[in-house]
Parts: sequence; structure tokens; C-alpha cells
Amino acid sequence: MKLLKCPINGTRPLSEFIFGGEWRDMPNPDTSSDLEWASYVHYRDNAPGIKKEWWYHSPSGTWFIAERNTLTDEVLATYLYSNPPATNVEEQSA
Amino acid sequence: MSMRLPKQVGEWINRNKKIRFSFEGQEYTGYEGDTITSALLAAGVKVLGRSFKYHRPRGVLSLANHDINALVTDGVDTNIRADVTTLTDGMQLKAVNTDGGVIKDKRKYIDSISPLLPVGFYYKAFHKPARLFPFWEKVIRKAAGLGIVNFNYPRINKRKLNDFCDVLVIGAGPSGLSAALSAASNGLKVILVDENQHLGGSLTYDFAGEVASRKTLIDLVEKVSASLNIKVYTGAYAAGYYQDHMVPVVRADGITKVRAKAVIAATGAFEQPPVFHNNDLPGVMLGSAAQRMMYRYGVKPFNKGVIVTANAYGYRVALDLLQAGVNVSALVDMRAEDKQDAHALELANKGIQIYKGYCVYEALPSKGKLGVVGALVCPYDPLTATADVKKAVKLECDGIAMSAGWAPAGALLYQSGMGVVYNNNIQQFVPNRLPKGVFAAGRVNGVFDLEARVNDGLRAVAEVVNFLGGAVKALSVETHKGPSPSHPYPFVHHPKGKNFVDFDEDIQIKDFINAAKEGFDNIELMKRFTTVGMGPSQGKHSNMNAIRILAKIRNFPVEKIGSTTARPFFHPTPMGHLGGRSFHAHRLTAIHAWHQAAGAAFVDVGAWSRPAYYQKAGLSKEETVQQESLAVRLSVGMIDSSTLGKVEVCGPDAAEFLERFYTGIYADQKVARSRYVMLLDELGVMVDDGIATRLSQDKFFVTISTANAPMVYREMQRCLQVWKLNVTLINVTSAYGVINVAGPKAYQVLRKVVSIDLSEDALPVGRSAEAKISGVPVRIVRAAFVAKQAYEVYMPTGYALSIWKLLLESGKNEGIRPFGTDTQRLLRLELGHPLPGIDTDGLTNPFEMRADQALEMGKPFFIGKRSLEIISKKPLNKVLVPFVLAADYKGEMPQDCNLVIESGVIKGRVTSIGFSPSVGCVVGLAYVAPHQAELGSVFEIRTDNGKTAKATVVQAPFFNAE
Amino acid sequence: MTELIKTSPLSDAQKMMKPLMGSHRGMEVALSFEGPKAEQKHKTILGVTDVSCFARFGIKGAKAGEWLAQQGIKTPEALNTWVEGAPGTLVLRLGMSEFLVEDQLIGKACAKLQAFDQANIQSAYQVVRADAAFVLGGSEVLNLLAELCVLDLRDSVLPSNFVVMTQIAGISATLIRESLSGEQVYRIWCDGSYGLYLWEILIEIAQELGGGVVGLTCRFQ
Repeated sequence: MKLLKCPINGTRPLSEFIFGGEWRDMPNPDTSSDLEWASYVHYRDNAPGIKKEWWYHSPSGTWFIAERNTLTDEVLATYLYSNPPATNVEEQSA
Repeated sequence: MSMRLPKQVGEWINRNKKIRFSFEGQEYTGYEGDTITSALLAAGVKVLGRSFKYHRPRGVLSLANHDINALVTDGVDTNIRADVTTLTDGMQLKAVNTDGGVIKDKRKYIDSISPLLPVGFYYKAFHKPARLFPFWEKVIRKAAGLGIVNFNYPRINKRKLNDFCDVLVIGAGPSGLSAALSAASNGLKVILVDENQHLGGSLTYDFAGEVASRKTLIDLVEKVSASLNIKVYTGAYAAGYYQDHMVPVVRADGITKVRAKAVIAATGAFEQPPVFHNNDLPGVMLGSAAQRMMYRYGVKPFNKGVIVTANAYGYRVALDLLQAGVNVSALVDMRAEDKQDAHALELANKGIQIYKGYCVYEALPSKGKLGVVGALVCPYDPLTATADVKKAVKLECDGIAMSAGWAPAGALLYQSGMGVVYNNNIQQFVPNRLPKGVFAAGRVNGVFDLEARVNDGLRAVAEVVNFLGGAVKALSVETHKGPSPSHPYPFVHHPKGKNFVDFDEDIQIKDFINAAKEGFDNIELMKRFTTVGMGPSQGKHSNMNAIRILAKIRNFPVEKIGSTTARPFFHPTPMGHLGGRSFHAHRLTAIHAWHQAAGAAFVDVGAWSRPAYYQKAGLSKEETVQQESLAVRLSVGMIDSSTLGKVEVCGPDAAEFLERFYTGIYADQKVARSRYVMLLDELGVMVDDGIATRLSQDKFFVTISTANAPMVYREMQRCLQVWKLNVTLINVTSAYGVINVAGPKAYQVLRKVVSIDLSEDALPVGRSAEAKISGVPVRIVRAAFVAKQAYEVYMPTGYALSIWKLLLESGKNEGIRPFGTDTQRLLRLELGHPLPGIDTDGLTNPFEMRADQALEMGKPFFIGKRSLEIISKKPLNKVLVPFVLAADYKGEMPQDCNLVIESGVIKGRVTSIGFSPSVGCVVGLAYVAPHQAELGSVFEIRTDNGKTAKATVVQAPFFNAE
Repeated sequence: MTELIKTSPLSDAQKMMKPLMGSHRGMEVALSFEGPKAEQKHKTILGVTDVSCFARFGIKGAKAGEWLAQQGIKTPEALNTWVEGAPGTLVLRLGMSEFLVEDQLIGKACAKLQAFDQANIQSAYQVVRADAAFVLGGSEVLNLLAELCVLDLRDSVLPSNFVVMTQIAGISATLIRESLSGEQVYRIWCDGSYGLYLWEILIEIAQELGGGVVGLTCRFQ
């Protein structure tokens, strides 16, 4: 069984986690067109690659983000949503 | 005739302890430590079973857990592998695949009609005409399968345990033992697993006549048992490789899931049979099988043997046979090259005739093919795989030992993601790319020389140490020198066939040729068409030969053919092991035991167990539910609603949080007031609803429906992270018990025990109040979900049972009656309240439920709002309506999910329906087309048996008593 | 006015075992099940004790730790660790901003903390607890845990002050190991509604391994 590292509770088997779907940046509901909004809620590109995903450590109730390569199933980093690694901060502010 | 040898050094049997058992009705004795096969062979029994398809007599092949034709039953235990299962006292064994006993099997005639049963026969013969298939299916099912399933098999708890180590070493042969010892001396915690009952692998049987070398093994084993860093599992197999180095180890009495930081597969190689006519007769076996028999169990494999070999190993086998006192008639070497190693010289010196460049053309059967009487050997042409029968020599023997090569036991490595390359030097697939933390050592890694295998274990450990962050010198092991341990093409064609490649499934060379002719010439297709490797041994002795045949047919190098992946489990694993102890996690309320005692029929709601209704002798479920509902309508009833999800939303931004999460307005809600909450998802689909009660300026108490509670709480936590509001969420689902007291006399019952004024004026619907019952603090919320006069009483869970009993006592004169969830569903239906998940599905939006009044579209944001704005521009295509059937309706009762049909077109479906004794007719909710939704309009429901029921749209609530 | 009895999540199941009953902090509890001799033996091999009746106080929020400190309760510095916050009182830090305070048999802190008045406190909120709680001890305790938990809980791996929030028998639970009257034991807390389920499994396995129930009296004598 796969292991996953919860940023608060450490490395645990996958059975302790619940998958929360891919993390996607919500468009501004006030300014987005109907089409933009519809593609946000309905479309997933499903292309393999590095994805940001929501994961939930069930025994402690901890949500966090995992960056996972869905092609190799390798988890590159996990962190709290409120505490992304430095590189991600740049990305977000860019 | 006893075949037992004198005591062998290091043998696995205890000759001081006799074990009595029977096989096919005959009584036998063996020794403690014998397997079923070794005990039978010692007693001179050679025929152990019948083959799967042709019912040919079969004996020993490998003695290494792939002797699939020697499956036996013992009482309720079926498919016992005789070659490796330890003999126990009182076993009453029978061969599984016979009709009338293993010798007289009535189905043995099938062997003689085998030309009528070519590969693919079933697929072709029975698929037309289709109407006859049910008949043929019965015949085929009777003929197929091994053993009989006993449906009264007792449930025995097999424990599934977890264990941990730094490095897991799989296989305790020379490489595995040296790896385990080296890892332990590097301070690593080691788990060493071997499927045999004792450590040692080939060190326990392969001596080339020099039994004195056994000392090496004894030393190694002593060191292993002395090491505090090594934990040994013997008689247990590593069943598969799972992500991040988790390997289930199957023990006799359960499974241990080992989580390792690194894995060394020292799994060795399976000896492969050369393929010639009658290579399956009892008495024809692999060379290593003969060795195992002699040195592990002290049993002579045969009295006079021929060895057919295509590598140096056959010479070692011959020397071992001679050492044990078996006559060796001759050694037949399929290789023509003239290289003579020391063992060949030794054999020649002992006067053993060696036929170089010869093959066994056929094994000569005794009467009924129950054994071997000789071998016909001929000069062999490896290019055409044919024998020169004109120069045939007949050798007398009662057994043949075969050593033609090896196939790596690479199943776990393949599962871990290993890449392989075909090494022509040794004619074997070897790893060329292993995933992080996975290592291979020994024969599976293409290393054959004994000393080199020991060194390969050390090399692997050096890599493990460095992988785990240490820094030791990397080691290397010399590549294989000398002749190949495996023959590239050990096949001998024969006009009569019966030269078996797969002993599980009775597949001959010609079957592969036919499969290829039919176009199944890819290894995956060929596997499925011929079923090679699909039997219980999963290709352990057949896959490599199948690949070699296909390579020849297609004129490709072996590497181009590739290999199929052997999936977990490595050996068949009993269902009881997989099941383990049954864990059915369930949640119970504090009142559960009372419900049980009161005859509740329970229903699972999420993880909770809830009373559906309370059974009454002589009453049907429907009658009981109707009585319970009448108690609520006419007097008073109460239900344990402790399972409701309950969340406290605390903090200065609590109202803001709720306004974003739910569809309504909460900022202006007054303390001690309750409001309806509706949760949508981002698509605008209705997910859940409940009640939010404001406890203070910055604290709300929110209820969630039972089954959705874990999911909704999770969503709250996620949204809180994203929205970054000053809010603390506290899940108090289990902290409070809830009792809902409902009915016209609810007030009378409660006022006797509650400390505050509960009258309609003091506490109308939508209000809540803090109060006390016998000194215990409770909260009372007026929510009109099941009845207009209803009080939800919240109390600390520890007091729920006591208060429940107190209320029962208090309501005795009013005839208070507990009711369950089935009744609750009828009661809320009578009031016309839809239930999320019952009256909605994964696509239902609030407009379709006509719940527009719950949507505050003017708010800046709530989950799903933007999607609703888009949806609202489109015409509705269905609407939820309350309906009734005529009071005198006598037809079949429509059910939930029956369709609403108009002119043959589906317009919607019934979501809730039931007979309401209070209303006096059948009431329900259904989705219909918008044009059918007018008050008074009539639509048609198609019942289960295809009849039509006419329903009339009405106004909810159906029941409206004051 | 009727005096209401406070029950533990396991009350009914335990009553079927006909124990010697008593009361602890207003909750009816089973003091002894099979007598001192048998329970002493269980305790050595594998003993399971229900301590759901211990007083508990939960608090959550950004200033929860600060508030506890103001009340004179020592709090753990690191996430997911525990300390003895007052004599006989455990303080577990659950993640970042939540604390569980538990008075063991002799602790007295919770009664004082119950006087918590939300009106005067910001960013700290009381968490009403309804736990089922157990003590597990004896020579076979790791054998039992190996079946119920996928984590390595051996002393060499699990530091003595760690709080582990994990799954036990498939349900969310909190686990620590501590020294109780000189004996190394594991403590387990789970949601009270799962209490009976977990209790039954613990007893079933304990009995298979030669242990069983240990009453409060025997556990804390």
C-alpha cells in the first residue's frame, strides 16, 4: 500500500487518507463568463503529469495539498494549503 | 516397496515419530516432517493424481509447490498441494481430479480422444447454436475444475498482522542467507522469508555428491538464528509486491503485511522441464525434485534412472543420485559441445554412460501409463528440435530426471516495476532496471555459481546500505562464465505429441503451433488462447518454454517476445487468509441497547445502526410503521436522532462562513433562533440540508443529515482553509444525544420534566431554548420536520439513555411510542418534506425541487450560486411534485423509482411513496415534466408488473392537522 | 426530581458481563469483572481496561494553548505530543490548535476547567468530549496492535511523548504510550459511538492471546 506524508502527522499508509480531487483555481464567479465557469466545474483535462491534489488525513482531520506525478504516481511534495513551499508562492503571485 | 533411504545428513524428517494417514482409501505411515508426496513416494506410491484435461496419471514434477497434478482433499480442505504440505496425523486424502479413484479413473479415456480436443476446442465447438449452450455448459462445468467446494467450510480466524523492517530478504538460499547476515551486521533490522519449512534453499539438496558441503549451510543457519537483527519467517511466502515496499507474507495461520524500507529478492529460479513425448509420466521429474526428495525427505526418487540434461546441473543431479545409492542408467546431454567439466569426468570415471548431443525422444510408459519402463534416446538436432530416430537407443529405467534450464522466480520483481533484458550468455531474462529500494540477488539476478551467489547477496546489501543513507564500498560480482545454465530451446518434436509444456493445463507443443496459426501469435494472446500459465502454478514451469516456442515460431529473438506479468498472489492464498478477522466498524447511539431490547429492526445509515421500526408480534412491517405514525399523529411518539451530524461553527466569522457554505442568510439571525440550511456543490446540485441554530453572536450549531455528516464536515474544513476566515469548527456529532418528541401531546409529556415554559407562545417553531431535565442541561429546538408539534431535545450523550427512559415514563399516560426511521420517512412525507439523497439524486438542482425560497441569490457568494445563475436561464426539464393516488386505488402499489410515463416516453420517476393512514390514501413525491406539474393534473406511473397507476398532483403538506 | 444516571458508551455491554459496579465522577462504571486473580493474570499477558469514565476537557482554537497555560496547566510545545500537565492529568496536543485534557484516576484539573466561560474568551472554544477510552497493557500488547494498526508502535520507533492520530481496527483513534504505576501501557481514545465496536474487538483478540478484561480496581490498585 502506498505511503503518503501528511504535513502534520507524518508518513502514513494511504488507507488513512481520503482523496479530495484535483486542486483547481476557481475563476472569479463575478467576472467569469458562463462558458469559463462551466468549463471550471465540468472539464478536467485528465492529462498525465504533475497535479496538485487535495488529500485529507482522516484520523486527524487535516486537509493538505499533494503534488503528484500522475504518470509515475510519485508524490513530489505535500504541504498545507495555507503554507505552500516558497516556489509555489512565487508561482501564485506571478 | 519402500523407497525410504537410510538417514541423510540434515534431512527434514524425524524418523522417531511416525505419522499415520490414508490416501485413496489405503492406510500408510510417514514420518514427522514429511510432505504428503514424500510420504507417499517413500511408500512406493508413484501415481498421485490425474491431469486436468486428459486425465493422464501424474506424479512428482518439482516438489517445489508447482506439482499441480498432485492436489488432494482432506475432509473439508480441498486443493491441498501434496508436494509441499506437511503430513499430519489422521489425514484422509483423496486425489481431486478423478472419477472413481486415481488408478481406475473413469475419465482416463479422454487421453485417447485427445486429438478431438485441440486447443481452443471449447471456444469453437460450443458457441453455436446458442440455445444448446446451457446444456454444454453443464457438461463442461462438470468436467472442469479441481475438487469440490464445501459450503459448510468453517470460519476460522486467520490473523492479518503488520510487521516492519529495514530490509526484507525474500528467499533463504545462498544469496538470501548471505544478504540477511550482511544486512544484520550492518545494523539493519532484517526480515527473512522462505516458503520452505527450513532455511537454505538449494544448500539443502544440491551437493553434486559431496554431502559434506552441508556444513556450510549449518554454519550459516546458526549465524542467522544467533542474530538479534534477523527475524525469520519459514513456511511462509512473500505473496506479492505492493507500493512503497509492502509485501504480504502468507503464513499457515494468517498473513503478515511487511512494510520494509528496502527489499532484496533472492527468490532464485524455477527449474524448467525439457519437452519430449511422455515427459509427464509418473517417475519423470525435474532434477532438483529428485535432489529434494533424497536429501530433505530421505526418499529414493526411483531405482534406476536416466538423466536428461542440457546444462551442468544435470551432472550434479547424477552425482547426487549416485551418492544416495540410486542406479544411474545413463546421462543424456542435449548439448553437442565437447566441453567437459570436472563433474562430467567424475561421472565418466564412475562408469556412467554419457550420451552427448542426444535427447530423450520419448519416455516409455508402463501399462496404463502409470509409470516409466524406459527411455528412447536419439541424436538431437537443436536447430530443428528433432531427433534422429533411426539411431534410437532404448534405455531401461523406472525414472527420468530432467535438467534443461531455469526461469527466474521474478514475479515480485515484475510487480515492483522491474525492467528486464535477455542475457544470451545464460539464456535468461535478468533485471536491467529496478525501482528505488528494490534489489535482486542470486539466480533471479542471473548469478549461478555458488560462490558468486553468496557474493551477490553481499553486493545487494551494500547497495541497500547506501540507498538507506549509509556509505559503504560498492561491490561487484563477476558475470557468468562457462556454459549456459539454460538451454535455449529444449524441445523434441514427436509425431504423437504428448510432449507437455504446461502440466497444469495439459498443453503440448502443437497447441502453441496451432494457436499461432490461428493468429494468436502474441504472448498475451497465446496465453489466453492456449491457457498456458493460467493454471494454479501460474506458469512457473511453463511460461519460459512458451516464450521460447513463440520466439521460434515467429523467428524472433526471445527478448522481442517479452513476458506476461505474474500477478499477486505468488501461490494461491485461501480466502480465509485474505478475509482475516472481520472488522465491520459501526457506530451506535447511547440508546442502542434499549432499542435492541425493545425489538427494533435495525437499518444501516452511514456507519450508524438505527432502528427502522420496532417489531410487534403478528404485525407486518408496513402495519407497524403505520401504527407508529398514527401514534405521532394522534398522540405522541419519539425517535432517537442522536445520529444527526452536529457541528459547532465558532468565531467572529461564523455567520460569514455559513453564508458562503449554505444558500441562506445567517448574519441577521437572532440568538436562540433556528434557520433552514441547504448545501449545494459547485455544480449547483443539492447535497444536504439541516438546521442552523444561533447559540451566541459568534457560535452556530448546525445539523447535518446522518449519512452525509462525515462528508459535509470534511467540506466545511476544506472551505475554511481556502476562505481563511476566523472560524473554528468543532464536530460534536457524538457529544450530544438527540431525542425528537413529536405529536399533539408532545408538549404535555415534556412539560412534566423540562425546567422551562415550552408552550407555543414561549417556544414557537424556529426557536430554541436552553433548559434542564432533572438538573442535566439540555437544548430544545422546535423543528417541524415530522410533525408540527415536535421538540428536538439535545443532551450530553452520557445522559441520553436516562432521559430517553425518563420521557417514556413521563409519557406513559399519553401512550408515548418510540418510532424508527421508516416511520420518520412516512411522517415527513405526509408533511411533504423532500429528503436529500432520497428525493434528490446526483444531478438534482434546487429549482427542480421547487426550493427557490431557500436560495438567497442576492448574496455575493455561496457554493453553487454561479452555476445556478447559468441553470436558471434554461428551461426546467423536471419538477418534484406531491401526488396522491385515488383513495379507492386497488391496483399494484407503485414503488420508489417507478417511472412516470407519458405517451410511452419517460418523464420522471417516483422518489417516495407510501400509504398514509392519516391522509387515508397513497401519497408520494415524484419528478414529472413541468407541464404535468399543475395542481390537479394527472400523470401515469408504470408499476413493476407493467400496469399503470394514475396519480394526481396535489398541494403539500398532505397532512395538515392543527 | 429523578436523579439521572450518566452512562459510558460501554455500559450495557459491560453489564452483560455481570461486573462489580461502582461510580466514578458521576458515571456508572464496572470496577471488577472476573476477580483480582484472573484480572491480574490478564494484566500480565494482555489486559484491556475501559477508562471512558475519566473526566475530560477539550479546547480548540488559536489561543487554546494560551488559555490552558493561564489556568496553570502545562501544555506540550510540539504538535502531536503530550505532557503530564498537572499531577495525574494528561494534556495531549492534537494537531496544531486543539488540546485534550484528561484527569486520570487521581487528576483534578478538569473540574476546574469546566468552569470555562466562553463569554470572556476569544479564539478558544470548548470541545465537548464523548470518548471511549482504553488502557492496554501486558506482554502481548504489540501482538494485538499488530493486527489493529498499520503503524510501527514499538518503543524503539514511537517516542514516549508522541501522540499518534491513526486508524485502529479501521476507525479513527488517538494513541499514546505511557507509564502507569510503573507499567508500560498504551492508551487509546476513540469516538464514543465506536466504543462498543472497539471494545468488543479488543476483548476478542485479548482473549485469543490469553488475556482479557481488567477492571478499574485491578488496573489502578
